[in-house]
Amino acid sequence: MIQIIQSYGLMLLGAMGKTLELTLFSLFFAMILGMIVALLNVSKNRGLNLTGTIYVDAVRGVPLIVLAFFIYFGLPAGIKMMGIQNFRLAALQAGIIALSMNCGAYMAEIIRAGIESVDRGQLEASRSLGLNYNKSMRLVVLPQAIRTMIPSIINQFIITLKDTSILSVIGFPELTNMGKTISGNTFKSLQTWAIVGLMYMVVIITLSKIAKWVERKVNFGR
Amino acid sequence: MEDKKIIIHVENLKKNFGQLEVLKDMSIDIAEREVVVLLGPSGSGKSTFLRCLNQLEKATDGTIIIDGKNITDKQTDINKVRENIGMVFQHFNLFPHKTVIENIMLVPVELKKMTKTEAREKCMVLLKRVGMEAKADVYPSQLSGGQKQRVAIARSLAMNPDIMLFDEPTSALDPEMVGEVLAVMKELVADGMTMVVVTHEIGFAREVADRIVFMDAGYIVEQGTPEEVISHPREPRTIDFLNKVL
Repeated sequence: MIQIIQSYGLMLLGAMGKTLELTLFSLFFAMILGMIVALLNVSKNRGLNLTGTIYVDAVRGVPLIVLAFFIYFGLPAGIKMMGIQNFRLAALQAGIIALSMNCGAYMAEIIRAGIESVDRGQLEASRSLGLNYNKSMRLVVLPQAIRTMIPSIINQFIITLKDTSILSVIGFPELTNMGKTISGNTFKSLQTWAIVGLMYMVVIITLSKIAKWVERKVNFGR
Repeated sequence: MEDKKIIIHVENLKKNFGQLEVLKDMSIDIAEREVVVLLGPSGSGKSTFLRCLNQLEKATDGTIIIDGKNITDKQTDINKVRENIGMVFQHFNLFPHKTVIENIMLVPVELKKMTKTEAREKCMVLLKRVGMEAKADVYPSQLSGGQKQRVAIARSLAMNPDIMLFDEPTSALDPEMVGEVLAVMKELVADGMTMVVVTHEIGFAREVADRIVFMDAGYIVEQGTPEEVISHPREPRTIDFLNKVL
């Protein structure tokens, strides 16, 4: 075990960095995407509503690994068929797209549920004072929705962080992929995977501690 | 009433929720500074009518003109009209993530009616008016029901409305807190506010109303002064209702 850490420690940390990079970018885009889709889903406009529902159903209906293959291999092939040559998607880009789309769909559901958990009277009070729908959402409904959403959002962050390991299948050099390489080189599967597992665990436990702290911070006025 | 300016004009208002006809045919004129109390059994459409007056419920049919603006017309900027109509809800609907003073300041500041400093000053005056200035910086969760409702009244006054709508403002309160809210409302009456009030407080209605409107099943059954409607009701449905609540 010590031997693996000595010879591969830096590489493992580098791979952890890649994992975090992929996670952070994906979460960033997933939040934006999730917010947009959630607002579509709570809107009263039928067309917007349907668009949001189709998105969530489509993405949730496909395993992440299939989505990743589709984007990494399928998409460039499709673009090539349309006559555009030299289109390449780096594994990182494809990974970010796949994870953002996947996580975005779940995030949309979390945000939608959060918005719906806010009493209707809040929107009515705000509208009755003369604020328009968008401002009422931004100033009154969403700040309250976010409080109830925080535990679920953090949970989704953790799921997404772990889901990055699935992207080892498209050759992205994240932590799990590095684990495969190391165990292949050293034949020390037990030690390698124990180290990799521990590394994930440390990051995720730290994340949940931060989550608890944030949760307490935003609970003022309750 | 003839010499007074009509500020709310409602003509043939209908409101359906799907198949259910809640308001069947309502027409009423309310004058400036008039205090109208709506009475009636639950399900009679009083609250729905009130909520149509600021279009929290979209009218299915008919015309509502508030201070010269036809709010049933899609072209009308309803947000602008709502600034002029304060509404007080049964369940207060204070914003729990904002302090008392922030609740009141939010909209005037957001709609750029005043700067933060001005707003704070003006809102403190409003809080004094409802006797809540000591609680300016606490969150609504720390207030009693009566206190919440007084803050909610102050909040709805922040945009200087000409009209105030009250939707059962004391129904969710413990009995000993009803008085403090009614006292604030009486002050508004004394100040000459145009008020439309849905309530079950018959004593309050008798004391402050210029006119009582008794509703049942989506229609106005009878209306008149408190003396006429409460003391000498003519319609059997009014008599029946008053017998139950008095």
